[in-house]
Amino acid sequence: MKKLLSILVILLVVVGCGSKENISTTENSCQILNVYNWGEYIGEDVIAKFEDEYKVKVNYSLFDSNEAMYTKIMSGSLYDIIIPSDYTVERLINEKYLLKLNKDLIPSYSLLDKQTLNRDFDPNNDYSIPYFWGNIGIVYNSAVIDQKDVESQGWEVLRNPKYSGKIYMYDSERDSFMVAFKALGYSMNTEDENQINEAYNWLQELHNTMKPAYVTDEAIDGLINNEKEMGFMYSGDAATITAANPNMKFFVPANQGTNYWLDAMVIPANSKCPELAHKFIDFMLRNENAYDNSLTVGYTSSNAEVVKELSETEFKGNDAYLPKPMGDKDEVFKFNEVLKEKLSELWIKVKNQ
Amino acid sequence: MKSFSRLVYPYIIWSFLLVLLPLILIALYAIVEGGSGIITFKFTLNNFIRFFKDPIFIEVLLRSLNIAFITTIICILIGYPAAYIIAGFNDRSQKISILLITLPMLINMLVRTYAWRGILLISDFNPEIKVFIGMVYNFLPFMILQIYTSLTKMDPKLVVAAQDLGCDKKEAFLRVTFPLSIPGIISGITLVFLPAVSSFFIPKLLGGGSFVVIGNLIESYFVTAGNWNFGSAISIIMTIVILISMYFTRRFDYNKEVR
Repeated sequence: MKKLLSILVILLVVVGCGSKENISTTENSCQILNVYNWGEYIGEDVIAKFEDEYKVKVNYSLFDSNEAMYTKIMSGSLYDIIIPSDYTVERLINEKYLLKLNKDLIPSYSLLDKQTLNRDFDPNNDYSIPYFWGNIGIVYNSAVIDQKDVESQGWEVLRNPKYSGKIYMYDSERDSFMVAFKALGYSMNTEDENQINEAYNWLQELHNTMKPAYVTDEAIDGLINNEKEMGFMYSGDAATITAANPNMKFFVPANQGTNYWLDAMVIPANSKCPELAHKFIDFMLRNENAYDNSLTVGYTSSNAEVVKELSETEFKGNDAYLPKPMGDKDEVFKFNEVLKEKLSELWIKVKNQ
Repeated sequence: MKSFSRLVYPYIIWSFLLVLLPLILIALYAIVEGGSGIITFKFTLNNFIRFFKDPIFIEVLLRSLNIAFITTIICILIGYPAAYIIAGFNDRSQKISILLITLPMLINMLVRTYAWRGILLISDFNPEIKVFIGMVYNFLPFMILQIYTSLTKMDPKLVVAAQDLGCDKKEAFLRVTFPLSIPGIISGITLVFLPAVSSFFIPKLLGGGSFVVIGNLIESYFVTAGNWNFGSAISIIMTIVILISMYFTRRFDYNKEVR
């Protein structure tokens, strides 16, 4: 027993020393910037260019959902820049996790597209700087799926038995329930028990009649290669798909409404290098870098000039690159803890019947 | 000899940090409720009650056990003859065959499963069969190696003796070789069944997302739903199920040895 105790003591000492050392090395120098971004969400050499210009090293990490990112940062991982979506920015602001930005350190702020600014989740952009934005719509192969069906039925075409076995579903409760709520004419932020149940039934029926494949990013390649013929997608991914395969078309059911989303750059309040982080945000907004980012990933830039140029050149005629302005039925996601858990449990049930 | 026993200390520290501590944390999370703040905790068994009250969770648990069970059976049915044949080769061929079996294991499991996704894409198998193919492919080498080791450890004179005493080939196999190789099968079962029951990326990648097993369930409660308490409760339930099945396989092994 004594032995075990001494082992424990040694252990605690070792662990204690380790963490002390960590703080002292990061405090006095900002040679490393920790950036946490979505996968495939940046231009190819943008990071390298930033490293060259400021003579620093960027530690670049990736996440694949807001929720996974949130879990990671809440378990203690430190980052200087994170790029979450609107509702997660809202959540992080509420939880006082974010640093109030100093816009004097971000001269390229003036380049931002006005329609991406001052959204409800951060009314004066005190905490977040828009990065990419867009909506969600249906991507379909016009050689197989009747355009008239898509345009007349909107979201409901995802349940058209004619196309059974030909569709992808996005494996995310948030996005799938959004589609169901909108198809039923409800708000995607609803808390009404009956409406949630109706949406659940809507998705259940889709599962039973359509036999969809539940995927995430695999759908991009899958649609380009015609493994399946239809699915709902984020506008930026849709822009990539429609650019790569001329048969693929993008349609946003404006009379039913969609999720009008925005991803933004934020600095956590516990960042060790807030100044360098501001420089990074500024760097990302500059015309040449924003152009590079947007061209590479196909998402709509927050830089007004870049959007104008790309929609006239590389993405000319690509409906998905330049989303229509926000319509009456379109909505922005609000963070809701209770709803989140309820939907994720229902989603497990939908996929499991 | 006694001085060497100190060498075990790093291992004790290691297993405390990486095995015991996480387990304690998971158990703690499973029996409390309310956020991730330890300070506000309140003891409860609701997480467990919730699991057993909902038929969907039971169904997922049974499905995971079922997949693991069938995978193990297929691995024995393919692995035993393979190991038996290899054990009969000459030295050189044995070495080459074992090398060929272990070679794919040098590549990350995830990468190999992705490769299978591509291969199976052109087939019309239902998701369940795809998952089985992926599972058997990934876990078969463990089974073959275990059985092969127990077969080669065996004294070949025993078979000769059995034949001298009047057994034909088939009888010698059934009465001498096979019983002596059972410990190999048992450790093979442990090595295949345990990872198979908790595997989550193989069903996720090959099952087209509609094939939820207990590993996926735990993942989605931790990552998307953000309910660590319930996720931990499911993990504990799975750990208990695994411990029970291990106990029974070990017991089986023990009985055989006594006889």
